[in-house]
Amino acid sequence: MAKVSNTFVPKHTVVENINPMTKILAVFSLGLGTLIFPNFWLGLFVILGLFVVAGLAKLLKEFVKIMFGFGIPITVMLIFIQGCYSPKNRTYIADFGFAKLGLEGSLYALKVVSTLLVFLGTFYIMNKTTYTGKLVAALTNSGLPPKAGYLVLASLNVVPQMQRRMSIIQEAQSARGVETGGGMLARVKAYIPLLGPVVMSSLTDAQERGMTLETRGFGITGVKQTTYVEVEKSGLDKILNMLLILFFVIVLVVTVLMKTNII
Amino acid sequence: MSQKKKMTFTAGLKAQFSTKSLVLIPIAVGINLIGGTLCSALKLPLFLDMIGTIVIACLSGPWVSALCGLLTNVFLALVANPVYLPYSIVSILCGLVTGYMVRAGLFKKIWGTVLIWLACTVTNTISASLITIFVYGGATGVTGSSIFTATLIAATKDIMMSVFSSSFIENLIDKGIAFFIAFIIVQKIPKRFLSQYASDSTEELEEDDED
Amino acid sequence: MSNVVLEVKDFSFKYRQTKRKALKKVSFQVEEGSFLCIIGANGSGKSTLCNALVGLIPHYFVGKMAGEIRVNGINVAESSIANLSSEIGLVFQNPFNQLSYTAGTVAEELAYGLGNRGESREKMVEKVKYVAELMRIDHIIHKNPLELSGGQVQRVAFGSTFIMEPKILVLDECTTQLDPLGSEEIFDIVKNLNSKGITVIMVDHDMERVARCADRIMVLDQGEVVAIDEPKKIFGNPDIVNHHIDVPDYVKITQALREKGYTSHEIEVTEEPTVELVKEALQA
Repeated sequence: MAKVSNTFVPKHTVVENINPMTKILAVFSLGLGTLIFPNFWLGLFVILGLFVVAGLAKLLKEFVKIMFGFGIPITVMLIFIQGCYSPKNRTYIADFGFAKLGLEGSLYALKVVSTLLVFLGTFYIMNKTTYTGKLVAALTNSGLPPKAGYLVLASLNVVPQMQRRMSIIQEAQSARGVETGGGMLARVKAYIPLLGPVVMSSLTDAQERGMTLETRGFGITGVKQTTYVEVEKSGLDKILNMLLILFFVIVLVVTVLMKTNII
Repeated sequence: MSQKKKMTFTAGLKAQFSTKSLVLIPIAVGINLIGGTLCSALKLPLFLDMIGTIVIACLSGPWVSALCGLLTNVFLALVANPVYLPYSIVSILCGLVTGYMVRAGLFKKIWGTVLIWLACTVTNTISASLITIFVYGGATGVTGSSIFTATLIAATKDIMMSVFSSSFIENLIDKGIAFFIAFIIVQKIPKRFLSQYASDSTEELEEDDED
Repeated sequence: MSNVVLEVKDFSFKYRQTKRKALKKVSFQVEEGSFLCIIGANGSGKSTLCNALVGLIPHYFVGKMAGEIRVNGINVAESSIANLSSEIGLVFQNPFNQLSYTAGTVAEELAYGLGNRGESREKMVEKVKYVAELMRIDHIIHKNPLELSGGQVQRVAFGSTFIMEPKILVLDECTTQLDPLGSEEIFDIVKNLNSKGITVIMVDHDMERVARCADRIMVLDQGEVVAIDEPKKIFGNPDIVNHHIDVPDYVKITQALREKGYTSHEIEVTEEPTVELVKEALQA
């Protein structure tokens, strides 16, 4: 499981200033567009485009790392699983001896990988270039219930705090000589004294945090909640929104045409 | 403490999502996640990422538990890898199954807990496998279970069955330990704390007025 | 002479599934602009009373309640915690449990309650600036509240409560978890607010401080009000120790002087008059 850290570091780029809702639209428009398109070529082009966007956002290094770090192993696995064992396979393009590589399965694998990478890439860029507070504020302004916004933000803030608390306990326990190594059973046994105290203290904390929320007017009904974080919508956002919708519509039309032409 | 007074579904939902319950959700998400982190710290080949969902099912009910499952995956998607997002459905279903079975009083007995464990394992296996196959084509990267799946596929030449069986064995062990730990934790929660979360129909059982 | 802003009448409360009542027929009144301190041993019902004053009982904690609390004429049981927040505010012990956990900066944290009320951003900015100065946190307004010290977080929490514009402040051992310096900073702010006309109800363990600040002191024991009076009368009563209360050292000193016949003056509860008395006694 990945170490949790605050994901947002302001870099003052063009991508950062784009309205969070535009970025969400981008995730869906590009992602779903690639998903419905019958082959992997569109996905490939979108992925290339995403590398450019990552460059604009000054994220290129991390982006390359995550795209290849995820992309290469999954391509290998899926080409193996689908390419060699997909029931759809008719034409074979290679023979490994123990299995034959099929064209249909391989193409399907590439299609899946490209779609996944588009979702992964757009989501990653959105996530790294958007302050979560701003994202939730934008969503709240567009009608997300404030309670849902609370849950997302609170989880992001509470979890690292709990992790810190657990590592403190972990250090204290090992200083007191509680064994965290040894055999499998010993390690399972070490689990509860490590997790237990964090769980108990967090539960009692929760009660007081609920008191705090109540006294701050959490759950007031009939009022449109406002936020301190400002969410602005620029001319660029309007243009991007239009382009993104246009992209999806064109992909949809082309897909329908291709399917009806072939079948 | 059987609930004789039936609440309507929406009234029940509203009671479940009180502020008191909502503030538990981020903490349960945290328990889920540090459960997983602890596993890797102790080098256990497990996930144990459902303990919080089980604990909150006991405190606040099935729908809160489901929401906790959803948020755990949303969190993982935001900070780690969006691959986790489609699996939210698995977490939601597991939360619901656990929540309703806890509500039926099964978590109080050993055989009942075993029953919840099995039900949860089956739910998880089926839903997660379907997602792995239909969303990801069979594997989500080079992990222990993906390689196991691939080996099974090579041996049996059947993608569906291979994904199912590798997922089932993994889940059986993982959920078993998770339920065992959650059981111990729930036993340790002070009664005074629990009573603040009990639903209203079980109220005023030990009422005694001495002035 | 002045107005009664808080009225508690025969208030009793028992948490669900506990045997003992946390509060038994508690009655008292608080006047506008006054400073009331509540003292008592652990488990005497101080926190329960604080929670009841701001409406957390009966709207958050479940249990069995009797009697009535009125804040500025509003019946707490018939109002809501959110509505009461503009009348009466609570600050309690653990600073980190008084954060909303939704804010990335102190400014957002302060504004959180205003956002829930749907106030405009212009008003938010204005109020955040005012409260941040008042709480002496204007230099850390762009920092992440989770990365601050306990004393700073407590002032953020205090600010987040005060920004809701309550006329009464309830402080439930709000400095117990802070270092001496952090505590004093909070008390300075409290005294400043009190001098501006804010009514203060404070639970505290430091008897010297209580004696110094309070207009009146209320003693709770096992959920019952055993005394409510001026500091001198409360600490001058020898029965006080039976309620597990330690009197300030100044009381012990002046009492000793009286017993030994060095002075016939009444007891003192604060530093300066005690020093004067000791001086007189030494001269005599």
